[in-house]
Amino acid sequence: MKSIRRALKMYRIFAAQELKRMMEYKADFVIGIIGFLLAQVSNLAFLWLIFRQVPDLMGWSINEIVFIYGFSLIPKGIDHLLFDNLWAIGHFIVRKGEFDKYLTRPINTLFHVMVEKFQTEALGELIVGIGLISVTLPQLNVQWYALKIILGIIVIPFAALIYTDVKIATASVAFWAKRSGSVIYMFYMVSDFAKYPATIYNRVVKGIITYIIPFAFTAYFPAVYILRDENPIYCIGMTVVISLALLALGVFVWHKGTRAYESAGS
Amino acid sequence: MIEVENLRKEFKKTIKDPGLRGSVKSLFRPKVEKIVAVNDISFSVPEGEILGFIGPNGAGKSTVIKMLTGILTPTAGKCTINGKNPRENRKNYVKEIGVVFGQRTQLWWDLPLRETYGVLKEIYEVPDDRFKKRMAFLNEVLDLDSFITNPVRTLSLGQRMRADIAASLLHSPKVLFLDEPTIGLDVVVKDNIRNAIEEINRQEHTTVILTTHDLSDIELLSKRIVMIDKGQKVFDGAIADLKTKYGQIRELDFETDCPDPERELDYINRFSLGEDDISFEREGMSVKVRFNSSAVPVSEMVGYTLGKINISDISVKDADIEEIIRRLYSQGVEQ
Repeated sequence: MKSIRRALKMYRIFAAQELKRMMEYKADFVIGIIGFLLAQVSNLAFLWLIFRQVPDLMGWSINEIVFIYGFSLIPKGIDHLLFDNLWAIGHFIVRKGEFDKYLTRPINTLFHVMVEKFQTEALGELIVGIGLISVTLPQLNVQWYALKIILGIIVIPFAALIYTDVKIATASVAFWAKRSGSVIYMFYMVSDFAKYPATIYNRVVKGIITYIIPFAFTAYFPAVYILRDENPIYCIGMTVVISLALLALGVFVWHKGTRAYESAGS
Repeated sequence: MIEVENLRKEFKKTIKDPGLRGSVKSLFRPKVEKIVAVNDISFSVPEGEILGFIGPNGAGKSTVIKMLTGILTPTAGKCTINGKNPRENRKNYVKEIGVVFGQRTQLWWDLPLRETYGVLKEIYEVPDDRFKKRMAFLNEVLDLDSFITNPVRTLSLGQRMRADIAASLLHSPKVLFLDEPTIGLDVVVKDNIRNAIEEINRQEHTTVILTTHDLSDIELLSKRIVMIDKGQKVFDGAIADLKTKYGQIRELDFETDCPDPERELDYINRFSLGEDDISFEREGMSVKVRFNSSAVPVSEMVGYTLGKINISDISVKDADIEEIIRRLYSQGVEQ
């Protein structure tokens, strides 16, 4: 309990620091916000074009597809907003020896790296995701009851954790290979398949996103439960189990990695 | 109390042939070579001592420091600091040490310096009243007040180094590791930093391990040095010993139009010197003479040289570390 309180406190402090940093470069901050708004507008236009052509796909109605698409952006956006700094491990922190700093401080290194920055661009994903869900839900004939609302909310942080887990494990490759940006990218991009119902893919893709890099559990399976009331134990339970199992794997690889870390000449 | 026993660190390195072709080739058939960066180094440092850890570039100094600070995992051997192993219970261990790498910074680059100390206070869980006292002390020793509100990116190198040293001392560590703390600094700033280190060591009895390749840093700060080269310890003892044994070498540089100054000056016979006591190098007009100043005093050497041949632009320098190590090797290592 004490360590959770301390972690939350440290998180608040790092976040405040990061906000101050963003204020320090006001022009960059404002341009960033404008850029992300433009990007989201073009994304929405593109989505609208596609879904205007496709009324129904493998038994999924347009509204269901858009719901899944929107739902998938929320966990992705949460991870993107909070834990984007893991990319920096793959790009330069390890290669340039900047990881030294984390190892000499009395905080868990993984926690320290994860909470040091946040990525405001991710607000775009979150806003669009919430928007798409609120537009499609009233048009879908969904049965609402207390358990579903609770499970539907609980599943979101665990779904976000799946993204974070995949980034932790792949970023850790840098401790051996010196950089792992492309490894993270390769795995992370698989999550694009998670935006649509898994049944529309062939068996190989479906197998990959269900069993190997289980992004199907970040949106498709939770949506199957929410929209069609199918098997909550599998659809929601497995999301929780998989996210925690992958977290254990990620943390294990990370700690192995810090022991193999070679720093850089100085 | 720091104990280092038979410490060893190996790195694996992929050997590549030059050019793109070599890189592609090594992608498919990598030639891996083992590099021993630190080879069987042992020493101990009692509490409150300032130990100079010296050696030329690439000798393995930083690698040793990184093992002592828990950044690198040793391949073999062990180090214990106040009875603790840096790699076991890292979080607990690092609370007792402070680390400064001269080439890097741990300060929050984009924010006013003051912010860094605020965050470090939380990271190290320093209580409010202790923090206030500590900042007052560090400000007195390192004179931070004039730039504490400036963003770190705007600090000069000397200010940044002072700020970094203060950051490493905020939590009152028992041991302070300084890796090249004076690199790239001018004489005045170097002096300030040395005084600050001395002050902190005197007031708080902090053990300091300091690496440098600048001998003058060490001469002013520590009585004892450990010298390493090519990953091995080559000397461990009082700095005065090193000086009497190997450091009496001075370098005399001058320019002359004399066609054969070596024969003209004939130092060996004039001062009856041994082979080891003198070396002569000539490149066009400029001449470099390295001589043992315990065999022939500097004043005599200069006077004799000036009187003997026509000379312009003369200077005398202390031997640098590379020169001392060169001599250590040529004479064999005695400890």
